[in-house]
Amino acid sequence: MDLESFVLEVSRLREEAENAFRDVRDAASLEEARVTFAGAKSGKLKSIQKLLGGVSPSDRPEAGRAFNEVKQAITALLEDAHDRLAEATASPAAAPLDVTLPGRPVRLGRLHPITRTIREVQGIMARLGFECVDGPEVEDQWHNFEALAIPPEHPARDPLDNFYLNVAQGQDPLLLRSQTSTVQIRVMEARKPPLRIVSLGRVYRPDTADATHYPMFHQVEGLLVEKGTTMAHLKSVLRLFASSFLGGDVHVRFRPSFFPFTEPSVEVDMEWGGRWVEMGGAGMVDPAVLAAVGYDPDQVSGFAFGLGVERIAARRYGVADIRDFYRNDVRFLEQFG
Amino acid sequence: MIVSTDWLSEYVRVSAPVEELVERLALSGLNHESTTVVGDDTAIEIEVTSNRPDCLGHIGVARELSVLFNRPLLVPTPRPLESGGRAADSVAIEITDPSMCPFYSARVIRGVRVGKSPSWLVKRLATVGVASVNNIVDITNYVMLECGQPLHAFDLACVRGGKIIVRPALAGEVFEAINHRRYELDPRMCVIADAEHPIALAGVMGGADSEISETTVDVLLESGQFAPLAVRTAARSLVLASGSSFRFERSPDPHAVEWASLKAASLIMELAGGRLEHGAATAGTLVTHATTVALAVDRVSEVLGVEIPWERQQSTLTSLGFTEQTEGADDEISLWHVPSWRRDVTREIDLVEEVGRIVGYDLIPENATISARPVADSPQQEIARLVTDVLIATGCCEAMTRSVVDDTLDGLGSPWTNAAALTISPPLVRGADRLRRSLLPSLLEARGHNLAVAAPHGDLFEIARGYLPERDLPSEPRFVSGVVAGEFSVAKGILETLFQRLGIDATGLTGPPPRVAYRPASHALFASGRSADVMLSLPGRPARRVAVLGEIAPAVLEHFNLTNPVAAFELRLDAIESVSSESRPVNRPSEFPPVERDLNLIVDEDVPWASIASAIDEASGGLLERLSLTQVWRDDGRIGPGRKSMVVSLSLRSREATLSGDDVKTVIDAILEACSGRCGASLRS
Repeated sequence: MDLESFVLEVSRLREEAENAFRDVRDAASLEEARVTFAGAKSGKLKSIQKLLGGVSPSDRPEAGRAFNEVKQAITALLEDAHDRLAEATASPAAAPLDVTLPGRPVRLGRLHPITRTIREVQGIMARLGFECVDGPEVEDQWHNFEALAIPPEHPARDPLDNFYLNVAQGQDPLLLRSQTSTVQIRVMEARKPPLRIVSLGRVYRPDTADATHYPMFHQVEGLLVEKGTTMAHLKSVLRLFASSFLGGDVHVRFRPSFFPFTEPSVEVDMEWGGRWVEMGGAGMVDPAVLAAVGYDPDQVSGFAFGLGVERIAARRYGVADIRDFYRNDVRFLEQFG
Repeated sequence: MIVSTDWLSEYVRVSAPVEELVERLALSGLNHESTTVVGDDTAIEIEVTSNRPDCLGHIGVARELSVLFNRPLLVPTPRPLESGGRAADSVAIEITDPSMCPFYSARVIRGVRVGKSPSWLVKRLATVGVASVNNIVDITNYVMLECGQPLHAFDLACVRGGKIIVRPALAGEVFEAINHRRYELDPRMCVIADAEHPIALAGVMGGADSEISETTVDVLLESGQFAPLAVRTAARSLVLASGSSFRFERSPDPHAVEWASLKAASLIMELAGGRLEHGAATAGTLVTHATTVALAVDRVSEVLGVEIPWERQQSTLTSLGFTEQTEGADDEISLWHVPSWRRDVTREIDLVEEVGRIVGYDLIPENATISARPVADSPQQEIARLVTDVLIATGCCEAMTRSVVDDTLDGLGSPWTNAAALTISPPLVRGADRLRRSLLPSLLEARGHNLAVAAPHGDLFEIARGYLPERDLPSEPRFVSGVVAGEFSVAKGILETLFQRLGIDATGLTGPPPRVAYRPASHALFASGRSADVMLSLPGRPARRVAVLGEIAPAVLEHFNLTNPVAAFELRLDAIESVSSESRPVNRPSEFPPVERDLNLIVDEDVPWASIASAIDEASGGLLERLSLTQVWRDDGRIGPGRKSMVVSLSLRSREATLSGDDVKTVIDAILEACSGRCGASLRS
């Protein structure tokens, strides 16, 4: 036997002995452990001593040292366990364990419920082949409006309906994005179809803060552009999403609506708790938007949908006032897994 | 838009109950808001999207019902009797800026008796929430609510000089509206003026001095086309929205301009008497948009993903008022003339939507298949996940604070820039108009809130963008920032754990990159002498500052009513994204036992730990497995003033063999020599 294997055997024995003696609770188990490890005839210590003869003479001093160490260790473990038992028998009531005493607390932080919701949506959409993309929050007019088929005179561009940056005169106006579709435009400008993406993040609209509105909120928007995409694909993807997110076999319903960047445009209702609940807007990507990013609307088509994260998080967790999401009160945050 | 069911029944007879009616409307584009019973009538509030001004009148809504329930639509054509002189001789119209008002018409009804409206009119207006004023004004409101075209009636006697001039307002021009409030106008707005001054704010509201009163005898009835932008600008900037401005902002049916004028004229004669002069005084040219749109026969199914028989498509479009043209059409392409009230329909896709919304999106199947595609998390997602996992394990809760802060929070400074924060208008919430340059002030504020409400703790972190002003677009680095109870070492311990988790050597030793080093820093948020910059070294790149940490300055703590010490850190996630996406080799653990040694080193006070640690590391011949500082103490008597004792615990281990006593002695001697030579350290025995 070579030295390395011998040393390995010795260290295994030591570990085994430490575990065994630690578990000793009474005289019987102490005797059992003693016989197992230090028994004069067939104890494990004896067995390993026999292996010493098989080590080559040049390695034997080193091996001997290792053996002596483990022998001393086992003797010490035996004595310790003996002492411990003696002490416990001598004063059985010295420190009885009250198993009902509280444990030492481990404080865990929590993920914000909005982040949890976003991750859940991301996870579901990833399983459907949608990758996550990110983009700037301070945007220019092209990405927030023009490329989305919102012309200059459109009411959505009114200064009172947006947070414009106070920039120097003559400079192009910038604003805090009012939707994450801006990121979709940026991705479409940079890449060619087929495309499946989810853009998400903070968006900003001048709403007075109340129980259901906040001037800053989060949006998740999905976009799919592939040859031959129809509204049936949109409905089917949303149904898969709804079934995964809400559980069970959830149906979706389309109500006609109007958004500048989709046509046809619909509001999406999902069956939640026995009734139709409005979840967000959707539609087929408007041919003008496809053309604006350099795609050929005769060759590819696509769909897009958007969900308000605060709204679905509030509903899922039963939060009556969405302002609570931004108060950052630890007593609120700690209620979310 | 509120509609009366009684009123609707004048144009279309639908026997279905109200519930079914509102459901069908909602599922074809007119969202249901509420239903209210008003006497023997029912008011239905519907939401009309901005592309459908045709449904801002009862006739438009009735048309939808007639299509949905397959009932005829009955719209009478008004044919008032004309007599006496010509309107064009009674008043002269001039338009100075056709971009604000392309077309203006005025009819003249002489000899009316202004008085109360009949009860049917008062009732109908009441159902839809409009108060009765007098018969003339009520009629203009009624006709607007009927067909969507706003009208205005002037007392002809108050129109000075027999002139109507439609022109941009003069800068600073003052106008008193019929609500008897005075407004200062500007040239972006359009006014109706007489020979002397404005008598109406075009498309928004009439003027006080020309309104219909009990003494009015002759009426000038205005029906015009006003540009959406001028109307919106006036309504928004003067906070003077009206039913009229709401509709003009959405461009009513151009053919309703004449229809409404004739309808109102005949109602006036019927209810208030008087004689209608011949014709109308007009100026400008009515903007119409006669459009023909092509629809490929199979286009609807290509978009909707469901087959709809062609005959069904044809009957749907026809009942909506579109007319099919045979000329130029063929087996594959049909041509449709768009009715005047649907200027939102200009392209093939718009026709597809018309068919889809009426035939019903319920027909669209929800079991279409999409192909599978591989998706990987982006580096940003991966990093955010790692970082949140670590921070949650340290006991911090994730916070979300506003991106825009007030000048007090912003005034606490940013560790990242001295340039003034970018500002927005309007403010996000009261006073908050600055795009934040650091997340730390917001987190301290949130911590202060938690302390104030006696929450269990206020240890918070947040991942969000900061906004650093640059020449054009601001840069928007993503930060992870945290505030925790305790001193410098608490924040540093968290940061070190984060770096290690991200695969960055956080020991401060000079090992191979990626690694970080710490250097003393000075930032307004942090107490003097109690903060550091963290420099990241990546292979082949100069070191770059990626994080700051420190103890929050006492004055800042006081500002947030924080009574105990707070440590904080802020790390630029964008700077470390490239690190974590690199794959790192895995080292097989050594099979040989370690040797532990404690060394008590005495050094001068100004010797930093980093130099002792690197001296030990570099002298250990690659055998140093672990190095920790167990204790630092000072004792003038025993080790002398200006000196400190650093008790170092180290663990040596070889990958090749068990270290012998001689091996260990050689390494420890080398370590002591390096500590002595490089740091002036002596061993205290």
